[in-house]
Parts: sequence; structure tokens; C-alpha cells
Amino acid sequence: MSLLKPFSKTPEINGANILLVENEEQFQQCLAETIVLQNMNVNVNVRLARSLPLPMENEKSRPRIDLVVFIINLTSEASFKSAETSLKYLDPGYFLGKVCFVVTKARSAVPPERLIAVRKLAASLHCPLLYAEDQTTEGVTTTAHRLLAILRVTAGLIPMATSLYLSTLTCYTLPSDTDQLNFD
Amino acid sequence: MNSDGVQQDNVQPSDTQEPVLPSGSVPLYIGCSEAAQAELMNQCEDQFAQLELLQNKIVLEEPDSNENPEEQSINRLAAVAAELKMWQSIQPELLSTNSEVLLAIGTEELHKMNSQLELVLSCSEARRERLTESLKKEQAWLEEKKDVFRAATEQVVKQRLENERLSEHGVLQDTKKKILRLRDYQEKLAETLSDILEEHFPLPTNETNVNKKKKNIPLELNENLLSLHDILELLMNKILESPHDPYVPVDETFWPPYTEMLLRYGIALRHPEDCFKIRLENFF
Repeated sequence: MSLLKPFSKTPEINGANILLVENEEQFQQCLAETIVLQNMNVNVNVRLARSLPLPMENEKSRPRIDLVVFIINLTSEASFKSAETSLKYLDPGYFLGKVCFVVTKARSAVPPERLIAVRKLAASLHCPLLYAEDQTTEGVTTTAHRLLAILRVTAGLIPMATSLYLSTLTCYTLPSDTDQLNFD
Repeated sequence: MNSDGVQQDNVQPSDTQEPVLPSGSVPLYIGCSEAAQAELMNQCEDQFAQLELLQNKIVLEEPDSNENPEEQSINRLAAVAAELKMWQSIQPELLSTNSEVLLAIGTEELHKMNSQLELVLSCSEARRERLTESLKKEQAWLEEKKDVFRAATEQVVKQRLENERLSEHGVLQDTKKKILRLRDYQEKLAETLSDILEEHFPLPTNETNVNKKKKNIPLELNENLLSLHDILELLMNKILESPHDPYVPVDETFWPPYTEMLLRYGIALRHPEDCFKIRLENFF
């Protein structure tokens, strides 16, 4: 079992790498294309995976991953389960601000328990939780912008800002009522 | 490695080639002299060497992973505390000692800020325009509403007048006004009448009698003679108070010439059977 580690490789100069993990590969592809098209001053490298762990054969060529994004489709249970199991293959160091959750299809009728489960997961891991609109191009572009903003910090491209610092500000906290439930 | 992990093709060649931006990949030291560039490169190399050193340290000291979420929280706390300590102890240092480089950086920063501010400006201008437009619209709307309000108020006033005219109260009010007018008219008439009577029909005095009456019948003018005004008043009151019996007995207080005049001009009538009684002519 290979654990993905945040600091196992030297960073690239003027570059940032983002890993999109989505079990169903629906939103992943168009989001990746949108991210690549954005106007950035650095080389952004997008890598795609259906789930973790990543295969060993690419280990050598794989650059350092600065941000791991889990895309969870709310309409499918498998999507959530896959993300949950994938989390085990991440080094704890990633949870210091280098993991982000993106929820899609939250607009359609979905069981509320699933959304609550995702929120609890994000809150327990101190990760930001983004809601993405995957039907319109504007929605996809917005999501790409938000991810890039986080990526810039996690890749160390912003002076005086660190991923841990950012994540303490952006990490998801549960609303008090669910918090209360959790407590009970 | 389980089956669904192996089949992931997580490296997609199409995505690894990223478009490189001209502005971004042409760094700021383009305008600097060669010496400055060299200095900058040296600095970068130093930094990179240091980074590699640190990297090696990290790899060597990588601890065992712990899955326990509670411990993860503790880890997080420790990391945040460490970062805080670092921020507190850190000393701000100059990016570079070379003034040329600093100038280039400053210029670039200013350019960047300029373009951002331009964006803000155009955005706020567009916004202002939109607001002005909506203000105009709102004002027009307000004018319209005011017109409507005015028209409605007028209508209400008109309706109220109409109602008053039609209602019982209105009728009563009208009648009262009429009564008042009539009363005024009557008063005026009465005043005029009394003025005329006073002026043209004085009570007889001794002098006038002496001229007219040559007979030496002892003419004692009754001191209690009534004026024409009083006679008329008496007649009028009688006819109004007791219409069934309007006759007034003629006694010595009535000066005969006046009685005669009244009868002759058809203002008063004698009782058909009793010649000592007269009444006012029926004027109504």
C-alpha cells in the first residue's frame, strides 16, 4: 500500500499540481480542462484519478501533489463510499490544508443524510467543502477559480500564506444542531 | 493494491502539457542588467539548495502515519502552534539587496495593481450607470404614483361632496341654510318696515290736531295711543297666534285715522258683524 505523501518529492519551480479524484469521472474531465485553460502565471498540472491509492508504476514520474480534491456526486452512494475509502491512502500531512472536497449535484433531490455525512466528513478532517454547479460553464469556471485559489496557496506560490494557515480559515465547521447530534 | 485502484489511469498525458503564459513565464528580471540577473539567479540557486536540504530532512524524518482521527486533531493543533511560533519569530527580510531588482519588482507590482484597479474602476462605473438608470426609472415611477395619488384624492373629494349632497344630513344642512337666509330676509324687511313707519307715520301731537280740528270739542289726545307700528304688530301677532280668531277689538288706543287708512288700503278688514273689530288681510 503506497501512501501519498505531501513532502516526499521536491517541488517544481513555478509549478503546481492538483489531483482530482472522482469515482465516476463525470465532472472530473471538464473541470480539468477548465482549470488548464485558466490564466495562471504558473504551470498548473492537473492529474486525474478514480480513487486512491495511485498505481505504483507511475510513482517515479508523478510530481509532488499540492492539492488533492475529492469530487463527490451526491446522487450516488458509491461516489461517497469511494472517497471515504480513498482517504485512507493519504498521508496525514495532507490534512493540514491540502485536501478539499467538492460536492456536485446538490441541487437535485438527494437524501439529506448523505449531504450531512459529507459535511461531517469534511468537518472531522478540517477540510474546506465547496459546492459546485456542474451543469453550466459558469459554474465549472467558478469552481476552477476557487480550486486554483486554494492551489496557489498550497503550492506555496503566495508569499506569507501557508496551506495550514488558509485551512484554519476555510475549513468546514458543522452547524450547531448537527454538532449537537454528534455530541450526543 | 486492489483491483479498482490499479485500473486508474491517473496520469493523462493531455493534461500534463499546460499552456504557459507569456507574462507569467517571462519573469520580472527581464528589464534588469546582466549583473542583476546573475545575482538573482545565484540567490535562487541558494534558495533551491536550501529547499532540497530541508526536503531531505523531511523525508528522513517522516513519521509513521496514524489513522486515529483524534491523534490527527492533536497533530493539527501541534502544527498550527508551530506555525504560529514561526510567524511570531520570523523577521521580515528584504527580497533582494539589488536596487535594480527591487525596482523591477515594484514596477511589476504597480502594473498589476494598476490593471486590477482599472478593472475595479470599470466595474464600479458600470454599476453607477446601472444605478443611475434604475434611479431614473424609480423617479418616473414615483411621478406616476404621485399622479395616481392626486387623481385618487380628487376623486375622493368629489365623492364626498356628492355623498353629502345626497344624504339626509346634506338635506338638513341645506334646509338650515335656507331658513337662515329667510330669517335674514325677514329681519331686513322688518327693519325696513319699522324704519318707514317711524319716518312717515309718527304719533299725532297736539299741534297737528289744533290745525285740523277746529271744533272745540275738548280734544284730549289719549296719552296711550298706539303707534302704527304697534298696531300692525298687534294685528300680525294675533293672526299668527290664533288664526281661527284673528280679530282685534278696536278701542280708544287706536288712533282712528290710522285705522281708517289700514282699512282703506286693504291692509285690514272689519269684522262683518262687529264693526269694532278688525283683522289683518289674508296675505298668504
